[in-house]
Amino acid sequence: MSIFYDLTTSHFLVLAAALFCIGIVGVLLRRNVLIVMMSIELMLNAGNITVLAFSRHFGADPQAAFQGQTLALMVIAVAAAEAAVGLAIAVAVFRGRHHTNIDRLSMLKN
Amino acid sequence: MMRSDFGRAVSASAVVALLAGLWSWLDPSLALASEAGEKMHGFGNSKPVAFLFWMFAAGTLGGSLFVITRRNMVAAVMGMVATFFAIAGLYLMLYASFLAVIQVLVYAGAIMVLFVFVIMILNKEEDEPWALEGLLGKGLAGLSLLYLFVRVGQVLWSVRDQAVDLSKAPLPKLVDLASQSQQAQDALAGGLAYPDKWQRAYEFGSVKGVGYTLFTDYLFPFEAVSLVLLVAVVGAIAIAHPSAKEQKGPEAS
Repeated sequence: MSIFYDLTTSHFLVLAAALFCIGIVGVLLRRNVLIVMMSIELMLNAGNITVLAFSRHFGADPQAAFQGQTLALMVIAVAAAEAAVGLAIAVAVFRGRHHTNIDRLSMLKN
Repeated sequence: MMRSDFGRAVSASAVVALLAGLWSWLDPSLALASEAGEKMHGFGNSKPVAFLFWMFAAGTLGGSLFVITRRNMVAAVMGMVATFFAIAGLYLMLYASFLAVIQVLVYAGAIMVLFVFVIMILNKEEDEPWALEGLLGKGLAGLSLLYLFVRVGQVLWSVRDQAVDLSKAPLPKLVDLASQSQQAQDALAGGLAYPDKWQRAYEFGSVKGVGYTLFTDYLFPFEAVSLVLLVAVVGAIAIAHPSAKEQKGPEAS
């Protein structure tokens, strides 16, 4: 059972892939716009885990040591900005349409 | 009925996992430091470290499944917060301590609070969690996602034997200042934080290291991201602000 005891980088990569797939399932199958946005955040976190796993994988190289962590920090900041703007759009749309069902939000006007 | 039982099962397993983690931390026989783990940048093939990984992985996947299956939106947000805490634990295992704290503060502490605010504003009764129309297409989407995960997992799993042999990599050492060259001492006196690139790599994941990198190598992306955040704040206010017609609507009637 060394697959459970010997940790490798691939463990983190496969976990990030599973998290990414769960995020895609949430985006495709949920109708509420807020749940869809939370699933998008799940996908961004999956990308962050991948980047950090590779950053630790090549940790002995002093040049590449901090590139992954800086990229993950930028991704977190940009995800915060995107969540703020997306939620503002959701609030504005809800004020006009009075529902948040993305299957019904398919036309620009009514 | 089935949904609340699932929620109870998830909560119970989370409590069990937390208690198991607490026990593995307190029990002195399960020392978290192994000989292999004492080496720099080494996971250490020790069972408690692997147990921590599986615990955080279960928390991550369980929390994310909780998010996409809940009908109650506030429950989904709470599941998201649990997912973010588990991901922060994974970041700690990946020697990214600064990122772990930032994850908890920014993602779980700010973005999810924003989601809760918007959920309270959009005070709509919950829809069905799974859309019923087009079930065949969505079943096909689920199957293709499963296939994607299996193939991507195969590729990601196949590289595990090509790991960098960290026992042969030069270990970064703490640098004694007095033994440095005059040039390095001048650089340190001039305010440079790291006289030696290996010392920067030694402090992998620390606040100092990430901050040093952010202000020297990646200064332009840092400033650009601050500009992005400013634009996002202004844009969010501009979008969510009610228009003048809506504001004087009740008085005009």
